[in-house]
Amino acid sequence: MNGQELLPLLPLLIVSVFVVLNLIVISLYRNHQTTALLTGLGLVLALISTLFIDKSTPQYVMPLIIVDRYSIFFVGLILLAALMVTLLSYRYLELQKESRKEEYYVFLLLTTLGSSVVVSSNHFVSFFLGLEILSVSLYALIAYKAEDSLGLEAGIKYLILAATSDAFLLFGIALIYADTGQLEFARIAPMFDSGHIGFLLPGLGLLIVGLGFKLSLVPFHMWTPDVYQGAPAPITAFLASASKGAVFALMLRYFTKIGIHTNNSLLTVFAVIAVASMFGGNLLALLQNYVKRILAYSSIAHFGYLLTAFLASGNLAFSAVTYYLAAYFVTILGAFGAITALSGSKAEPDLIDSYRGMFWKQPLLGGVFSATLLSLAGIPLTAGFVGKFYVMAAGINSHLWILVVSLVASSVIGLFYYLRIISVMFSKDLGNSEATGSDMTGMAAAGFALVLLTIALVWLGIYPSSLIALIQKIVPNPA
Amino acid sequence: MNGVFYLSAIIGILATLMVVTRLNAVHALLYLIVSFFSVAVIFFVLGAPFVAALEIIIYAGAIMVLFVFVIMMLNLGSKSTKQEGVLLQPRSWLGPSVLSGILILEIIYLMAYSGSSPISSPAEIAPKQIGMALFGPYAIGVELASMLLLAGLVGAYHIGSRRLLDSSSKRGDKE
Repeated sequence: MNGQELLPLLPLLIVSVFVVLNLIVISLYRNHQTTALLTGLGLVLALISTLFIDKSTPQYVMPLIIVDRYSIFFVGLILLAALMVTLLSYRYLELQKESRKEEYYVFLLLTTLGSSVVVSSNHFVSFFLGLEILSVSLYALIAYKAEDSLGLEAGIKYLILAATSDAFLLFGIALIYADTGQLEFARIAPMFDSGHIGFLLPGLGLLIVGLGFKLSLVPFHMWTPDVYQGAPAPITAFLASASKGAVFALMLRYFTKIGIHTNNSLLTVFAVIAVASMFGGNLLALLQNYVKRILAYSSIAHFGYLLTAFLASGNLAFSAVTYYLAAYFVTILGAFGAITALSGSKAEPDLIDSYRGMFWKQPLLGGVFSATLLSLAGIPLTAGFVGKFYVMAAGINSHLWILVVSLVASSVIGLFYYLRIISVMFSKDLGNSEATGSDMTGMAAAGFALVLLTIALVWLGIYPSSLIALIQKIVPNPA
Repeated sequence: MNGVFYLSAIIGILATLMVVTRLNAVHALLYLIVSFFSVAVIFFVLGAPFVAALEIIIYAGAIMVLFVFVIMMLNLGSKSTKQEGVLLQPRSWLGPSVLSGILILEIIYLMAYSGSSPISSPAEIAPKQIGMALFGPYAIGVELASMLLLAGLVGAYHIGSRRLLDSSSKRGDKE
């Protein structure tokens, strides 16, 4: 091992260095602004470093990590998401009574590191370690606010359920290892082609349970609304985008390799999960009165849509999933970003009624929030529309009729609750909605992030070909 | 050696079940130690004596530290003496000792057998090989594990410190 070999890891190394740097700075000089700036700087440097990695051939760092166009694209996406969350968090934390605001950024960098490791892992060891770094720092972030018992409850729920799902994951890995004697993804994949089953299928089944939990797909979704509601809004944004996206990106790469399209039992399992997630998420969202819970159920449904494209085969599926994930990142960061920006020192606006007349009081924020909701619903001119269109095209191309029909039907159900929030925001009756924050401390950073996200949202909706061209380049040797 | 494996696996499951069902934390911890011992024996049978030793040193050792904490927290003068008396009743130590006694017999049996091969796996993994793997192909994994521990440490510190802050601020309010 020498320096040359470590070069492809530059973004991860920079993030790790800034974790340690932040800790040192915090212990010497506790200042919220300094730590936030340092975190932003680290993320920007890591982003810049992704441009300098040689992407011509996939590079393996030991057997653990693979660095190619695909993983670098997702690492970049995760770093961008983390940067947006940092910008959004500054004002949010300033308004909190919490006396220790600085460790937040350490955890944020650590979750970023964890999700980046997950997307670039080529080995069960790095996958599991990345996943654990991701979830351990998420426990701390979810329960970050000292005075908030709801956050604490959410943190404990996430801790226990994530530990349980990790047990499933580990048992699955053990069974696969027992059968193949391999922990490297690239070497396990060919074993499937030989038609040999043995412990592989039960192992894979347990693996799917663990992954299903991380992605909050329907039979494993119970934790989602509570955790989404209890966590601080910027953290929910990160949880919904980077943490889930990383796991899905990894799943896409390797499940395609092991020939999920030819294996009937796997295909059936995923199809059932997809349909259940689409309908379950959208129907349960109808019953909710809290905006963050609605968005939680909507995220369940969105990962159901993603599974539709995931099950479609070929190049189109790959680019559809990647595009949808990118669009979803932008949209959900914008949505939770708007909630973050609307929250005052007392509480986040959570009950749907506290959004009454939002559009007339805070036209800019109301506009951003409506735009993201429209994108989640899949209305034209937004990123969400193009993404959904792409996913449906991929589904139709592979003749997955049941999935496509459920996608359309459940999207129509979904439209109702998105529009319900929007109609409440536009209602002239102002009611008693004093919970909305008008505190402008540190609004510049959050505002900047929201403007960027909104521009990206509309840009991807009107002119998607720029991103699609990029995505077509990163597809790893088409299956 | 399959018999030894199954016996220790059964003891492991039994001990873990007892951990979950005990109401007294100290009793549960005793069974937890037995459960770690049985896992260590399984590792030994599988040809990983080094990991078996680590299992006992690290896990059982950590439980001992927990023990010390429990005793420390229960340290309330005469009440703690009563607590010790309860702990010394055969009812509380008999179960764990029987289970670990069986495990010791297994180990003695394995040791006596070591003339031939005491293990069911094709090769024994020596500490050197583990070290070489950790410093060779898995070096990044070791670094990642250090980040994981850092996350756990800082997280525990942050969430744990809130109770201290709360109680001190409440005390401040009273005064």
